Amino acid sequence: MTTQHTDPMAGFDNLVHAPNRLRICALLDTAGEAEFGVLQEQLGLSASVLSKHAGALIDAGYVEQRKAVRDTRQRVWLRLTARGKEAYHGHLAALRAIVGE
Amino acid sequence: METEASFSGRPVAPTPDQARAALADADRVRASTAALSATPWPIWFATVLTAYLAAFPFVYGGVVAEGSWLLPRWAWVTALLVTTAAFWALFSVAAHSWKQRTGVALRFDVLPRRATVPLMAGLPAVLVGSALAFRATGQAWLLVAASAVAAAVSVGFHLAFVRLHRKTS
Repeated sequence: MTTQHTDPMAGFDNLVHAPNRLRICALLDTAGEAEFGVLQEQLGLSASVLSKHAGALIDAGYVEQRKAVRDTRQRVWLRLTARGKEAYHGHLAALRAIVGE
Repeated sequence: METEASFSGRPVAPTPDQARAALADADRVRASTAALSATPWPIWFATVLTAYLAAFPFVYGGVVAEGSWLLPRWAWVTALLVTTAAFWALFSVAAHSWKQRTGVALRFDVLPRRATVPLMAGLPAVLVGSALAFRATGQAWLLVAASAVAAAVSVGFHLAFVRLHRKTS
């Protein structure tokens, strides 16, 4: 085997690395699950920008969504999948390795 | 500007400064989200929780007591079932309302493990152990002490959440 455990780029994930997507992953990893409006408010993103990035994460299988009522209105709730958590934590580990922590 | 893959398909490694900035950014989001997750229960439910925990040693003590203690055993059993059912019904209402208010999932791992692990192991031991000790010794002060400890723990944890929520907000 030639696996290099010391390769700082081993867990680096281009999809997660985009700043807004990294923020989305950070929020969902901490919150467990969050409503779309909360993501927007916490991250200061417009609905269209958030939709675009959340869509990319959903397409990659990193995030899953469900619809549920909040404040009498149908809302979208997002959460990281197991694959998404693995990718996010692997990416953080890669960043820490690059920094030298 | 978003960082995407290079044309070769191999990830473009950020510089240490860029990586540090990305980590700091993720940490800022984590901290502000943790504040949301640490939103304390509403006062009404914190009161319900404290009252339930404070009453539990007496009610369970009555259930396991040798013979009748203050009330017939069936009355204590009924009280235990009714208060427990009412507590879980109110918990369900409070949890639903909390989630609606905060827009995030209810998590039980917000406080540090050094605080929650002793709680998860110690509080049931105090609640149940005091009743069993009461059964063995007939000393009612054990129930009073357990009730006081349970109420203090409940109030203490509520205040810890209030503090954590304010600190990280």
